[in-house]
This record gives sequence, structure tokens and C-alpha cells, in this order.
Amino acid sequence: MKLYRIVLKDMARRKKRVLFAALGVAIGTMTVVGVLTIALAGQARIYNELEKYGANLAVTPAINNVDTHLGDLSLGTLAVGENYIPEATLPQIRQITDGEIRKARGITDQGDIATIAPELYINTEVKGSSVMVVGVEPDAESKIKTWWNVQEGKYLEGTDQALVGAVAAKLLTLNTGDTVDLNGNAVTVTGILGETGSNDDYQIFVPLETLQKAYGKESLVSSVNIRALCNACPVEIIANAINQNITGVRAIAVKQVAEAEMGIMGRMNKFMWALGGITLAVGLFGVVNTMMSSVNERIKDIGIMRAAGASRNQIMRVFIYEAVIIGIVGGILGYLAGTLLAYIVGPLVFQGININFVLQYLPLSLALAILVAAIATVYPALRATRIRVADSFRSL
Amino acid sequence: MLEVNNVSKVYGEGSARVVALSDVSLRVNDGDFIAIMGPSGSGKSTLLNIIGGLDYPSSGEVILNGKRIDNLAENALVDVRRGKVAYVFQQYHLLPSLTALENVLLPLIFCGANGRSSQKALDILKKVGLEKRAGHKPSELSGGEQQRVAIARALVNEPSLILADEPTGNMDRKTGAEILSLFKQLNQEGHGIIMITHDPEIAKQARETIVLQDGRIVGKTNSEEGGENKC
Repeated sequence: MKLYRIVLKDMARRKKRVLFAALGVAIGTMTVVGVLTIALAGQARIYNELEKYGANLAVTPAINNVDTHLGDLSLGTLAVGENYIPEATLPQIRQITDGEIRKARGITDQGDIATIAPELYINTEVKGSSVMVVGVEPDAESKIKTWWNVQEGKYLEGTDQALVGAVAAKLLTLNTGDTVDLNGNAVTVTGILGETGSNDDYQIFVPLETLQKAYGKESLVSSVNIRALCNACPVEIIANAINQNITGVRAIAVKQVAEAEMGIMGRMNKFMWALGGITLAVGLFGVVNTMMSSVNERIKDIGIMRAAGASRNQIMRVFIYEAVIIGIVGGILGYLAGTLLAYIVGPLVFQGININFVLQYLPLSLALAILVAAIATVYPALRATRIRVADSFRSL
Repeated sequence: MLEVNNVSKVYGEGSARVVALSDVSLRVNDGDFIAIMGPSGSGKSTLLNIIGGLDYPSSGEVILNGKRIDNLAENALVDVRRGKVAYVFQQYHLLPSLTALENVLLPLIFCGANGRSSQKALDILKKVGLEKRAGHKPSELSGGEQQRVAIARALVNEPSLILADEPTGNMDRKTGAEILSLFKQLNQEGHGIIMITHDPEIAKQARETIVLQDGRIVGKTNSEEGGENKC
């Protein structure tokens, strides 16, 4: 029989007291686990929201010395000149982008990660007005421009179709079903975009392939938008890697978006950690209190053990074992309650989030609970070791 | 051999000053049987605690087997408690969550119990006549049985001196007599015994009786001189 068995037997006799102490620990760990679980679930949700900011990397032909091509703003000037990116570099761009993200995030999955949307700009005349026609890959484009909203008709579904920006549709009096002549090739307007407040409103979007054929720009694109949104996605590193490895292109990281995202997450995490820390501290005092009364209740038992030859260290160990057991019980309770808390409170913080058991938080919860219980036990246990055997019996 | 030389114990200071022991000296030979008598508050328990290293004297010295123990550090006193001296209390002082056997094992656990410890504890329980109650908790035992467990616990480390603070104080005469005869048996086996008692009949069984009053020794009676032979 070992000392810890004595502790276990004694704790079994004082179930209520032990449970109270464990609950004190559990309240703190519950908050931390709850906060972390909500934060994790909320992160996915936030990224969805942030998708609306658009691309965070723009790749343009290197010779083009226009500095202002941050996303949409540069389109007007980009269209002039004969500078294009060969489509053949797209797989290379994808390889570099996904490779860097995998490296940074430790992802082993080999599927595509970033969204890569090539665009071809052609300035042409429709119904006598100068207008910008943009060739896009419909799927990738819709992933990057999540704010697009087809107000009339349908989104691009096949070749020889056109999606017209809200203002362009008005100026050119285009409606769904109308045909537009692009260098002799007729495309049908399938949809009109809702107003976005951006340059998109003045443009006409057609499938990339259609535009390339119509203007003899096969296998050429004017720019590539990349969306590599993830926490700590190394957009600058990706941009550098592209610039170094692919000649004839210039990649620019749209830093502001990524930094804003990181900032929001960082501030939110800090706030949540502070919240968890405060609750943990409050719980700690509760446990100190419980352990204190536990020591007071057991002054006699401690005296018995001392008289039977227990050293101060052994008395200390009795309370350390007790703290570890309380920590384990409290940690498990805290983990379960924390997940439940996240389940109840999470939807109030982020609408429509999905709360799941996050198993890797269980060891964290246990470690935290044991730590709190141990810290809470130090002072009461020290007091227990100072008890004089003679005094412990006299007080009865 | 135990020597107590001019031991005093004072609690509190100023007007709250209480003298529990005043200049007490006594000698206990190996295998001796000493009874301590005296009214409540006369300092009997304080003396016993100081002898056993459970309490420190304010002045004077306690010498156990040629070694001063009154000025030992706490850690060194642990060794005294683990080997030479053992206690039996009026209130038994058993741990309520442990069985009789586990209570007897307790001193061995603190010394680092090994595989044979359980057998040893069981043998000693047998010696005090409680082997059949080994698996029972204190709450399931009678007062006499609990005291036997406490005595077994005291014996498990084979102490040279057993300090007993009114071990029969909570018992009816018959049970008390049984416990007393157990003590006498242990004394005959060579364990020295110092026993506090209120009962003059019990005191008569000891070789020597010391009477304390207001912290002073006011009388010593040698039972052997009175014609009673301890054997």
C-alpha cells in the first residue's frame, strides 16, 4: 500500500468536499475551454466574413510599370499595352502558393488550397461606347468576388455568355438575352450584376476562353488574382517566391487585408484569453478556500499521520496528490462544461457557427486544472505541514 | 534509557502566561513501566508529548538512549517517531477511512513499506487478538478493539518506548483491564511504557508512579517497594 492509496481512500470519504474543490477548478477551465472552442469555431466564421475583402495577392506582367494595380483599382490602365502573362505559368503560380501555405501551416493534404483567378482585359467598343470586357474563369472569379450578386438572369454557365455590370447594363441598355458582338463573335447576356460600387459595375464579364478566342489572345491572361486567406498565410513570402521563380511577372501582396484579418483575430484572442485568465484566477481563490477548510477539517488526521511517523514532506505529498486528483476531476468536468458553454454561448457571439468537441483541448484542460489545483494547494498544504502534533490533538 | 532533566514548559506571555511544567526530572530505564497520575491540567499530557518529541520544552533537556531530542530539528524528530517511540492515545486516533490493517500499516507506509509489510501488520494484529477484524474500519469496531488497533500500530515499528495517554480512559472496567493486561504483556516482552492514568488501580501495576500537580512532581511511589512485584 502506498501513500496515494491512503489519499484516495480518504478522498472517497470526503466526496462532497472534493467535488466542491473540483468544481472550483472546473469553473476556470470551463471558461478557458469554452472561450477557445468558441474562438476556434468563430475563426472559420470570421474567415468566411473576411472573404468579402477579395484577393490578397495580385500577379501582373512585370513590364507593366503601373504601380496602382491593387485589385480592381488598376484595371483601367492594365488593359493598354501588349503585356500578358502566359497561361502556362498558372500551374507554377499555384504550386508556389500552395507550397508556401503548406509549409507555413503544416498542411500535408495535396489538394488545391488557394483560389487562383486569371483575368484577361480587352478594351473594346460595344454599341459605340468604349467598354472594358474581362475574361474570367467563372468558378474562381465567383470565389474571389463573393460579394457579387446576380440581380437579373443567371451567372456564367458556359461559353459565349456574358455577365454585365450594373452601370454598363444601364448605359448600354443591355438586358438578359441580348447579344453583344465581340470582334465578330456574338455572346449572349445571361445575367446583370447588382451594383457593387467598384469598377465591376462598368465592365462586361465573359468566360476567359471565349474572350481569348475572340481577340486572338489564346493562352494569355492580363493578371491573376490569388486568394490565399488563412491565419498567418505568408502572402509576402508567396509574392517573393513568385517574383523569384517566375520571370516576366510581378506579384504583389495586398497586405492590408491580411493584416486587418490578423489584427481582428489577435485582438479577439487576447480578449478571450484575458477573460479565461480572470475566471481561472477567481476559481483559484475558490479552491484555496476549499483546500483551506480541508486542511482545517483534517488537523487531527494530519496529527495522526505525523505521530505515526509522517515527515513534513509526506504530509505535503498527501495534499499534492489530493490536488492532482482534484485537478483531474476538475479538468474533465471543465472540459465537458466548457464545450457545453461554447455550444450555448457560441451562437450568441458568432451567428451560425458550428461547435464541436475539440479533443486537443482535453489535455490542455487537464493540465490547466491540475496547475490551478496545485497552486491553490501550496499555501494550505504548507500550513498543514506546520501543524504541531501536540496542538492538533489539543484542539479536539 | 530515557532521561528528563529539569524540563519546564510555559505557554503564552505576560498575564496570559501559563506554566504547564515546572522543573520536572525523571529517569526511565529500558523496559520500565511508569505511570503518571495527577488531576486534569497538571501537565501530564504535556510531559508525555515532550518526552515523545511531539512538543518542545521551554527549558531543560530530554535524553533518549544517550541522545538529546529536545533540541532536534523537525526532520530528525521524524526518525525518533519512526523507530524508538510510539504513541497510544485515549481517543485511539485511527484514520477513519482506513481499515484496521491499513491503520496498523500506516507507520510502515511512511517508512517506505515493502512487500512483507502487510504480513507484519497482520501478525501484530493477531498478537493483539484482532486478526479477524483486519478488514474493518474503525467505525465498525468497539472502543476496546479500536484501542487494540492503535496499540498494534504503535508496535509495528518495534519501539523501545510506548507512550500511552490514558489508553483505558474511554473504556468500561472489563475492557480497560484487557487493554491493561495487553500493555503488561508488552512490557514483559521488553517494551518500555509510560502511561498516563487517572485510575490508581492501573497505576499500581506500574513499577513506579509519578504524581504531577500544577506542573510539578509532587510524589513518586515505587510499586515494587510496596510489595507488589511486576513479574
